[in-house]
Amino acid sequence: MIRIENLTKRAGGTQILRDVSFDVVPQSVLGIIGASGSGKTTLLRCLNGLERIDAGSIDLDDVRLDSNLPESDYRQRVRLLRRKVGTVFQHLHLFPHLTVLGNIIEAPVHVLRLPRREVEAEGLELLESVGLRQAAHRFPESLSGGEQQRVAIARALAMHPNLLLFDEPTSALDPKRSAELRSLLRGFVTRGHTMVIVSHSIGFLVGLADYLLYMEGGQAIEYGETNTILNSPQDSRTRDFVAQPK
Amino acid sequence: MLHDEAPGQQAFEPYYRALVEKFCLLLVTMNKSFRKSVIVLRANTNPRRRINALRKLLQIFFVVLTGLTATNAQQVLRWGADPSGGAPYVYADPANPDHYIGYEKEMVDALAAAMGRKPELVPTDWESIVQTLQRGSFDIVVNGLEPTTDRAKQILFSKPYYVFEQQLTVRKDDDRVHSIDDCRNLHLTIGTLGNTAASRYLQKEGIPFRGYPDPVAAYRDLELKRIDGVLMDVPMEMYYARSNPSLKPIGAPFLRGTYNIGLRQGDEALKAQIDAAIDKIIRDGTLESILRKWNLWNDAQVDLQAPIRAGQKNDTISYDLTSVSFNWRQAFGRLGRAAMVTVLIAFGAMIIAVVFGLPLAVGQSKGPGWLQVLCTIYVEFFRGTPVLVQLLFLYFGLPAIHLAMPGWLTALVGLGLNYAAYESQIYRAALEAIPRGQWEAAYSLGMSPLLAFRRIILPQSFRIALPPMTNDFVSLFKDTSVAYVISVWELATAYRELANATGKFLTLGIVVSAFYMVMSLPLARLARRLERKMKNRQALQVSVSEVPA
Repeated sequence: MIRIENLTKRAGGTQILRDVSFDVVPQSVLGIIGASGSGKTTLLRCLNGLERIDAGSIDLDDVRLDSNLPESDYRQRVRLLRRKVGTVFQHLHLFPHLTVLGNIIEAPVHVLRLPRREVEAEGLELLESVGLRQAAHRFPESLSGGEQQRVAIARALAMHPNLLLFDEPTSALDPKRSAELRSLLRGFVTRGHTMVIVSHSIGFLVGLADYLLYMEGGQAIEYGETNTILNSPQDSRTRDFVAQPK
Repeated sequence: MLHDEAPGQQAFEPYYRALVEKFCLLLVTMNKSFRKSVIVLRANTNPRRRINALRKLLQIFFVVLTGLTATNAQQVLRWGADPSGGAPYVYADPANPDHYIGYEKEMVDALAAAMGRKPELVPTDWESIVQTLQRGSFDIVVNGLEPTTDRAKQILFSKPYYVFEQQLTVRKDDDRVHSIDDCRNLHLTIGTLGNTAASRYLQKEGIPFRGYPDPVAAYRDLELKRIDGVLMDVPMEMYYARSNPSLKPIGAPFLRGTYNIGLRQGDEALKAQIDAAIDKIIRDGTLESILRKWNLWNDAQVDLQAPIRAGQKNDTISYDLTSVSFNWRQAFGRLGRAAMVTVLIAFGAMIIAVVFGLPLAVGQSKGPGWLQVLCTIYVEFFRGTPVLVQLLFLYFGLPAIHLAMPGWLTALVGLGLNYAAYESQIYRAALEAIPRGQWEAAYSLGMSPLLAFRRIILPQSFRIALPPMTNDFVSLFKDTSVAYVISVWELATAYRELANATGKFLTLGIVVSAFYMVMSLPLARLARRLERKMKNRQALQVSVSEVPA
């Protein structure tokens, strides 16, 4: 059960998020769409605790992050939340001083304190599943952009997150690579993963996202199944956005 | 030796007076011919006459110039002495620091008056005073200079004007020492002024000793138990130690020697004048009254002065003064030991700097407000004041709060604290060079700030910081040489003392430079290799970030 209620985020004098509420259905993909500056990236950063929320709450299974919690409790909850949420950043932020395998096993070994050999074996399996088994002992900088992205995905998956967040995953990919990524992610969903994908590209989300959330001006304008949102949007603002030529 | 017409040699009084008269006359005629030449130069178009007039003008300038400098040099008697810690010889009057006092100051005034010249003190550094005389910075040395045989090879000496003896001083509560021989048997370190008859004696007798640039530092280190005794000429011992309640003299003064005035080789004429002037102020009692005034009159002086007053020549009085022994094997041994101290100080200081720099850097950029202020004050203090002053403060200032560290430890800690300030700034820059995304990626994997710092940020910034750190280490290595101000026997001090004692500034300088190079070159090479490696890495990173975003 993943529920976001009345999420509000301010920065300086402006409200970046206003009363955003929605659910994420387990084992499904939610696409968040909207123009630049609509608040979708900030929303994603709230979901893994990188931004302090000013009002509202986030429920992820048994972890509840509430803006009213005392500071120390809040920080502790954020740590718990982060263990359940994996993030693939737009610019990936791989660790350049570690090998590909080192990137993947870093958190399981030092955060979860799992035995290194066990984690390494699992890390190699993960790399196999993203097609990078042979690159395990290379450094990230020697890989292509698409390969680096798959390392970042494997790094996030190594923590067994309940929720996987993607920020603009196609921004550095050509159409062919985008299609490959889509089928890779679809495969993870059938294996039971839950994802939230922020993207300005509706084309990428078609056939991947089960639900869509349209955002504008920091507000959640419309939420529904992908087909409904794309073919019969209720709100005129959503209609304008999806009707734009791609 | 070829005698050139150096101005100092012709300063006979009558000759000098005649010259002044001649000079005035010259000025008058010159004024006339100057005007004439200018007129010729202006009015005449004949090139040959113009050239003649020009030549005449140049001649006038030349005559005026040489005339002025010549008269100047003959009027003034420039004498070199070290007034720092120079009591009772010559030192700044505590009541009026612009003014120098001392028995030698008064004596030179009397000598200069007898010679019809105007004395001018040129303050200089004691240990290299012979070399500074040879360089020509002053005409004579009057600074309790002992006519040792090694010095006699380099400079001329006047006849003696004072007979000194050595006095051994220890701490009042020290009952191990009853004579100078006890120091050798117990292997106690004795302090003395560097490059003196006393230091030569200690070296010859095989008593471990430490040379100091001035007596104040030596007696203070004795009080602070950094050394076990001080052997010093009686005048200094009387002025600096006799009244100190925590020190006591051991035995009677021994090892007579004389103070003579030092002159450049070849200045025989000046030497003759000086000798005559010394005889004069001895005969007319001027020197005795000066010495009595300074409480320096004793039997030894009577022995020196009586024959002269009786009308005898007495140019031969001399005492056998130990000359400094020098052989390259011994020199290399001492330099090798000094090099080890240098390495010890450099590595120790670097460890302190590297370890202490990190909390400073983190405190300054990430700590709470008060800590940031504290760290900034620390950094700015150590970067904004000379390391030399810091060392002097640690060495002489801290004992006031009962924290008397030995010299090498003071240098090690002082340089370490100083370089920590510099390292912290390197770290800070390196930490800030890591993109924020690295922190966020670490956080989003569930890492605590500390873990993220230790596992993700620190290793990356270390790679950035390494080349400038190595660079700093090389420069720290050379900075150990400032430890000479607190008399640590490291390479620079060794060079200074050995070269001052032997005059082998050139050869020893080359040897010492070679020592430094041999030790710092591998470091410099390491720095270059790391820098190259970093550059390659950065090139790779640039090519990766060029992927369209």
